Amino acid sequence: MSTTPWWASEDLWRKWAIWITAFMLVILIFLTFDSVAKITAGSDRVPGYDVINKRIYYTFNAERNMEEPVIGGDAPLFGKMYTPEEAEALVTLGKLTTQAKNCMNCHTLLGNGAYYAPDLTKAWLDQGWGAESVREQLMVSFLMDPTANARTYGTGRRMPQLGITEEEARGVVAFLKWMSAIDTNGFPKGFKPIQQEAMP
Amino acid sequence: MIDPVAVNDIMAAAIAGALIIMFGATYALLFAFSRLRGQRLLMIGAYLAYGLLAVSVAVLARTLNLEGFWQSVTAVMLVGYFVAPRLIWNLCAGTHPPHGDDNPGTHPNPHSASGGTMQ
Amino acid sequence: MSIGTFDSSNLDAGQKVAVKYFSVAIVLFVAQILFGLLAGIQFIAPDFLYNVLDFNVNRMVHINAMIVWMLFGFIGSVYWLVEDESGVPLVGAKLANLNFWIFTTAVVVVVLVYLFVQVGPGTQSSIWLINEGREYIEAPRWADIGIVVCMLIFFYNVAATFMKGKWSGISGVLVLDLVALAGLYLAGMFFTANISMDQYWWWWVIHLWVEATWEVLVGCIMAWGLMKTLGARRKIVTTWLYIEVALMFGSGILGLGHHYFWIGTPEYWFTIGGFFSALEPIPLVAMVVHAVYDSGVHRFRNGNHPALAWLIAHAFGNFFGAGVWGFMHTLPQINLYTHGTQWTASHGHLAFFGAYATIIIAVMYLAVQKWRGGVWMSGDMPGNGWKWKWSFALLNIGVVGMTVALLIAGYEQSFIERALEGSTWAGYFAGQTQPWFIQGMEWRMLFGWVTAAGIVLLVWDLATIGRGETRTAINPAVSGEPATAAA
Repeated sequence: MSTTPWWASEDLWRKWAIWITAFMLVILIFLTFDSVAKITAGSDRVPGYDVINKRIYYTFNAERNMEEPVIGGDAPLFGKMYTPEEAEALVTLGKLTTQAKNCMNCHTLLGNGAYYAPDLTKAWLDQGWGAESVREQLMVSFLMDPTANARTYGTGRRMPQLGITEEEARGVVAFLKWMSAIDTNGFPKGFKPIQQEAMP
Repeated sequence: MIDPVAVNDIMAAAIAGALIIMFGATYALLFAFSRLRGQRLLMIGAYLAYGLLAVSVAVLARTLNLEGFWQSVTAVMLVGYFVAPRLIWNLCAGTHPPHGDDNPGTHPNPHSASGGTMQ
Repeated sequence: MSIGTFDSSNLDAGQKVAVKYFSVAIVLFVAQILFGLLAGIQFIAPDFLYNVLDFNVNRMVHINAMIVWMLFGFIGSVYWLVEDESGVPLVGAKLANLNFWIFTTAVVVVVLVYLFVQVGPGTQSSIWLINEGREYIEAPRWADIGIVVCMLIFFYNVAATFMKGKWSGISGVLVLDLVALAGLYLAGMFFTANISMDQYWWWWVIHLWVEATWEVLVGCIMAWGLMKTLGARRKIVTTWLYIEVALMFGSGILGLGHHYFWIGTPEYWFTIGGFFSALEPIPLVAMVVHAVYDSGVHRFRNGNHPALAWLIAHAFGNFFGAGVWGFMHTLPQINLYTHGTQWTASHGHLAFFGAYATIIIAVMYLAVQKWRGGVWMSGDMPGNGWKWKWSFALLNIGVVGMTVALLIAGYEQSFIERALEGSTWAGYFAGQTQPWFIQGMEWRMLFGWVTAAGIVLLVWDLATIGRGETRTAINPAVSGEPATAAA
């Protein structure tokens, strides 16, 4: 239409739509390459799976203004030190189990999921397990029979029986331990971890 | 780096965030009606809404500790909400041919005695 | 052509397929609300159906039914307009029918497995056969592949029809958007032990669907609908569709950053996510101007009152759900407290309903009208149209009520759990047992029942509106011509 000013023409906006979309997409792809490298297991932000052999601490980093994970000394899981391959296999079993048992439709992981049950991001470090020494076994027993070992804190909400085997439960615990070492930029806010052996 | 909201400011920050959008829309609405009907009074209302938006932005910036880079976010809000409705109005006028049937400026509007004085 | 009864001779081949998709969509919408009710009850009475139909199953069906009914609604809407927009008959009508039945059967099988198998051992085969355990895209891998194949067949049908007939700006955007929509789904189809990587790509699917490609799809449907129902001009509508694409993708694609604050991704996402989150609502707000401008141009003389009411609900719902409720807690300084709490549930309820449920319901009313031979659906309907008015009121009041109740619960939760208690499990449960939270859940339940009453009436109304009607509809594209109306 001849009366339409150039800056309101269909043609111009078609070009804008294409160019803006393409430009944003290119930036996103570029950032994705960078982010994927930075969240690959074994990077600074997302540790390798053999971190399950270590004790995990949190300290406040004043420069970043947030709590950040610190990997401490040896702390074998289930009394065992895992090779990187074994550790990856165990965490993989745990992650598969969390998916197959549909954990995310009650719990949140990294804050995503459902809100019927507590966030699991730092479940490994939660004070609710009492002492460091009994934590692993408590977690395994709980996962295998959540009805008998219910921890409802007065809400009456119990985890259902999901038929988790001992091997799967150990995998889940390994997965939770590994997840608790991910640098989540201070999420969840002000987390106060379980009492552990003093940081070396 | 971010400096999270203080505990007692969570509600203030959330309400300020909601009000920014609400006042943004009020401003846009009154601005558009003012242009459409040629009523100056509505334009005063529009600027009043924008003023309240600016206050909400200030509250948000304060409670969320928007400093350093984050001041650019504050600026984006102040400028964006002011300019975008005007741009959209101009685009509306530009995309609707001035002598066509679709132009509110050339047709008496049933809501307005003045018939609309666009632009 | 007959009037007042459902007669498929009133429909073209694409529309015959469309009404099938709409029918299944409505069934799934009912399922969504039904399982939402069950999950809501469990918040109040946790022993309800414990170890029978647990919260995780109910919630999975609740959100998965929603995703699928909306997809069915979109597919139906596209089939609805494809012949009209392309000017030729649907290329593969039989294929479209076959595709519909395959898709529907797959959905039924998936839901039955969700309900009766529920969970499996921690193996790949569980993920392939039972459920993938990832929020919103729980469908097992076999179904993922099936969905992609069905989407490709659908895409072929639509694209080939446009190729045979004529292309337009609307169909061009529509087809490209469908490619993106189907392509993005692939980002959710792999397993990794790395939860950060998992969530990174998961958000590609979820965010780039609901905050980008779905929005544009709705824009295409709206553009076509505005031409049909208000007689808007193609050139103007097309230009605005391009403007919308530019604004939506311009702010929405990198708006993805606001999901990358806390999942292990680098800190620069604070900056990108924060900046684009502040940008995202601006076009939404500025579009108010456009609505006002148009309302000054077109006098509302509309031939389908329920559809128009739902379109208005869409405008408001999108504004409040995505705009107000989104921006309220999107910047990282506050999101640190609200992420992963009932705030998100509050935002999710209003945004999905406001942005998508409303517009699909509007298209369904248009579909029913034509299916019954273009019957009268303006004022002065039998019984004064009480069914559509009440269902409209109940659904909107129900969802808004749930949203407000969840917001109050969410505020309380973030305050107690995050701010005061240090985000521990004890803190989480302390928040969940506070009176404000419990009352929030009770009010949510009450409004859940209101919503349920609304859907019952909606189904009843869609099945009966215009039955036995002998008057034909006003054609607003002709009689509501702005020049005539404004004179």
